[in-house]
Amino acid sequence: MWLWFSKLGSPRWFYELSGKWLPWLYAAMALLLLVGLTWALLFVPEDYQQGHTIRIMYVHVPVASISLACFPLMAIAGAITLVWKMKLADMVAKCVAPIGLWFTGLALATGAIWGEPIWGTWWAWDARLTSMLIQFFLFVGVIALRSAIESPDAAAKACAVLAIVGAINVPIIKYSVEWWNTLHQPASNFSMESTAPNPPEIWVPLVIMIVAVYLLFVISLLLRTRNEILTRERRSQWVTDLIARSQV
Amino acid sequence: MKPHRRKTLGIIIFIAAGLSVAIGLSLYALSSNIDLFFTPTQIAAGEVQPGQRIRVGGMVKEGSIRHSEEQLQVNFITTDYAHEVDVQYNGILPDLFREGQGIVAEGSITPEGQFLASRVLAKHDENYMSVEVKAAMDAAERQRVMGQTQGQNQEGFQ
Amino acid sequence: MPTLQFSSFSEFLQMGTYSFHVWVVYLLFAMFLGYHLILPGLQRKQFIRLQKRRAARDAELAARAASRHGTNDRSAE
Repeated sequence: MWLWFSKLGSPRWFYELSGKWLPWLYAAMALLLLVGLTWALLFVPEDYQQGHTIRIMYVHVPVASISLACFPLMAIAGAITLVWKMKLADMVAKCVAPIGLWFTGLALATGAIWGEPIWGTWWAWDARLTSMLIQFFLFVGVIALRSAIESPDAAAKACAVLAIVGAINVPIIKYSVEWWNTLHQPASNFSMESTAPNPPEIWVPLVIMIVAVYLLFVISLLLRTRNEILTRERRSQWVTDLIARSQV
Repeated sequence: MKPHRRKTLGIIIFIAAGLSVAIGLSLYALSSNIDLFFTPTQIAAGEVQPGQRIRVGGMVKEGSIRHSEEQLQVNFITTDYAHEVDVQYNGILPDLFREGQGIVAEGSITPEGQFLASRVLAKHDENYMSVEVKAAMDAAERQRVMGQTQGQNQEGFQ
Repeated sequence: MPTLQFSSFSEFLQMGTYSFHVWVVYLLFAMFLGYHLILPGLQRKQFIRLQKRRAARDAELAARAASRHGTNDRSAE
């Protein structure tokens, strides 16, 4: 266990292993995206209230739910950085931040586009929307904090603390629709029956899209972390060898 | 770590901790005001002053929508099946506005108890289904209700 | 079994009355996909190019320094 942990902390080992995973992840994501997007755009029946705007859900829900995974991941990586000073954990924490920012931004944007015809407004200061906006600014804060501090070690520690503190916002976002009266509806309950609200014909493609977007998140994080590894380890022998070998 | 670095880090941690306490406290303080809207029951209980700018949320009562003939003006009753609020609105309604639909109206209440809305938003629920499934469910519901003597199966808004 | 919801391509583009909303969302998603999958690759290429240039420059500087040393040595003779 400890050997595995310290091995995983070795950037070189991670770089080589992730290089082997990437083709499989790409293939799985491409397949799921193809099935999910075709199903969502062509085969999902019109909603009895919302008509074709239901198709917006197949982008909005996956992106929004995965944006909630970013802060906890950054907080865990930050805690590992603070306790064990593992280099790789800080690289992951650094690379999650911009990804989380974009996921949160897209969730807000698609939600606004969806709300405009259905609710009659693209924005409301309800608890769900506001807490999501706070998450957006927390990501901006983490990124700004890292670039503001010159010393990489101090930056890593400060960002780790902010990530751990900011993770409090995630359960607030998740349960805001239950704790308070909001314009945003609560989470849907999936039904196994085909003659009930939220039947399989509606949620199966949604699950496919969620898995596909999760894979996108993992791929994006791996690609960025690999670049970060090369940048930080550029003076080590294995990176100079790798650069000498690569054809660009 | 050099002493001045240690100092910077201390300051940053202090700021982050202070920020989180501030956010936590303000969320706690706001926890009653963070609700987007009042329910008709809360308004009946006198939680709202006349003239105060608020939002009210509830279902549009069946058969209560009265459109004005000349203007865009519309009158309807919003209800949480315990209490009702009479709403008057002058403007464009969202696509989902209909009887039985959850709505949020923004405006203020007159001393007579009339709610003057400046904006009406539709609050859609978490149930998605096709037109066919909805029709099948409604048909099944009608069968069930006809089987009983009197169907009283309205769900509360919240 | 899922059935095709549109009988013609123009109907598909129209999305009822919501063509703008639906298609803007999917366009944003396409841009989002492109951003996440393409940008890291470009950054990686840029970095490798930069490092190669640096390595070449370092090698050249080292060679020049060595040759200058060589001439200095000879002139000292």
